[in-house]
Amino acid sequence: MKKENDKKIDRRQFFRSGTRTAVIVGLGGLTAHAANQATAKDTVWQIDPNLCVQCEQCAENCVLSPSAVKCVHIYDMCGYCDLCSGYFEPNTDELNTGAENQLCPTSAITRTFIEDPYFKYDIDEEKCIGCGKCVKGCGAFGNGSLQLQVRHDRCVNCNQCAIAIACPADAFRRVPADHPYLLRGYDI
Amino acid sequence: MKTILIEKVLPLSVPATVSLIGFVFLSWWITTDPVKHLNESIPGMDNRSAEMAGSSETVIFDAYFELFEGVPAENSLGSWPRFRGRYFDNISREETEIPDSWGETGPTIVWSQDLGEGFAAPVAANGRVYILDYDEERKMDMLRCFSLADGKEIWRRGYEIHIKRNHGMSRTIPAVGNDVVVTIGPLGQVMCVNAETGDFLWGIDLHKEYEAEIPLWYTGQCPLIDDSMVVVAPGGKALMIGIDCKTGDVIWETPNQNNWKMSHSSIMPMTFANTKMYVYPAIGGIVGVSAEGETLGSILWETAVWSPQVIAPAPLVLDDGKIFFSASYGAGSAMLQVVKEGEQFTVDTLGTYTPKEGFSTEQQTPIYYQGYLFGILPKDAGALRTEFACYHPDDLTQLVWSSGKENRFGLGPFILADGKFFILDDVGVLTVAEANTRAYNQLAQYKILDGQDSWGPMAIVNGRLLLRDSKKMVCIDLNASS
Repeated sequence: MKKENDKKIDRRQFFRSGTRTAVIVGLGGLTAHAANQATAKDTVWQIDPNLCVQCEQCAENCVLSPSAVKCVHIYDMCGYCDLCSGYFEPNTDELNTGAENQLCPTSAITRTFIEDPYFKYDIDEEKCIGCGKCVKGCGAFGNGSLQLQVRHDRCVNCNQCAIAIACPADAFRRVPADHPYLLRGYDI
Repeated sequence: MKTILIEKVLPLSVPATVSLIGFVFLSWWITTDPVKHLNESIPGMDNRSAEMAGSSETVIFDAYFELFEGVPAENSLGSWPRFRGRYFDNISREETEIPDSWGETGPTIVWSQDLGEGFAAPVAANGRVYILDYDEERKMDMLRCFSLADGKEIWRRGYEIHIKRNHGMSRTIPAVGNDVVVTIGPLGQVMCVNAETGDFLWGIDLHKEYEAEIPLWYTGQCPLIDDSMVVVAPGGKALMIGIDCKTGDVIWETPNQNNWKMSHSSIMPMTFANTKMYVYPAIGGIVGVSAEGETLGSILWETAVWSPQVIAPAPLVLDDGKIFFSASYGAGSAMLQVVKEGEQFTVDTLGTYTPKEGFSTEQQTPIYYQGYLFGILPKDAGALRTEFACYHPDDLTQLVWSSGKENRFGLGPFILADGKFFILDDVGVLTVAEANTRAYNQLAQYKILDGQDSWGPMAIVNGRLLLRDSKKMVCIDLNASS
């Protein structure tokens, strides 16, 4: 009984310790928030295309659905080929826009005839899920003009990026917010 | 009143409510389009032009000729007269001892010449170097003749044709023989000129005359001069044709009943069971065409068992009727066996291999040397991608050796001379490696060219190595250091 009585605290003690805890938690939170704000303002997540292996983890692990990772097209590097290895399934029978011929599972790449022999390829980001199948195809046989990037109009810039944790190639890193994109073979 | 409500109205309210909910759900189900957010992807959405690949221009072959001050190299006995050399194996048989390396300074660059952008490669004979260039300013396919001695231009002959840049413009390698030079232009124009003077002899437009469909990224096929005949594969109205070297008359045509199309690959001769034949992997299938006698030009065997969309490497004829084929874009390779039963030829498939399963090359034709296959693996070969590798033809899945991940070569060419491989990478770094079947042994490495896409096959003549990047050709002396 005595022991139970010893554990009891009076109202003053309760408020004192509660206030102390609240202040500590608040200060900690403020500090963390300030640190987070400073970090978030200064740096953002980005994929290094030189390290990216197009493993499709970007499509699976982002906290957003669909992923904040999208394919971007660097037109200056594109060959505008009829047979685009980023657009077509390998050894497809017909070079046309039939869904069965396309590498992209969501038909997020639009192919447009420009003039013989050139075709233009545009990414529809609303449809792109960031799987990187097109990037792999383009890198294998094309100029590598299709690359995966974190799109910062979508990314919520988590402190711990879920894709970065899952990335097997350590291709995710923080980059300065005023230079938020990392493109291989092209300076912006 | 209350009793009536409980006894009559209340029992009806439950089914009425259920009916109402059912009606609302049914209405929603009928009026809602569950696939309204799906977009159809059907053929024709790219507005592709019906008329593609090939020029609608009428080509005037003898339109342009210019003579220069250059003179052929004297006492030049060696030659590299066609794609893959005299013996179709990409091996130089010149008895010249080539050093393993050229010190810190590298080999001597004897001369260099600026070229139009592309991958066309040179041949050499009688002290002259020939290359089918593209003159972007004049918009002409331009056969240029240089002196092997100093690189000075001797003459050039061209015809007007509009080639748009599509991963470079020039593509093919001429053939020299019977005192003539024969070329195939990027849009399928076959031209024959006097090898000494450059005088125009004859021309055939494969697109116009044979309805040849020009392959993606233009024609890569190199012409074959076989004795007094020029042999080319148009596809279209004829799968293969034989042309009289002197007159330009078409001697024979191989029917194209399967409507197979021209590939980037080139015709290779082969003799099996005492029968000479021309082997060609078209888009659609592979064919063996009789190269002699009464059956000249007729199909001896054909198969569609392996028919990639894009084929650049030439057939590699091995021993006892075996032929190795390779292609890019994930196609990998195939080993076929020609068989003769009675008077009939057939072909068996010994194996097909994806790029990750076994040996294949993407753009260059492998070298068959000492019973082994050597070549640069394709970009989709997994961990071994773009490494120079050695395999035995009996087991194309078992790597004998490779150059390792530190030594990748892209799509570059390779050639063999004096027991050494000379391997050029995409950006003009020349690697010398020992030609053996035990292990990769690199002897030397030098940066020779500054440009990119150094993909044109190399040639060796009189101890000189001719190589190019996308815009420049250089001649290096393999026997001296700078």
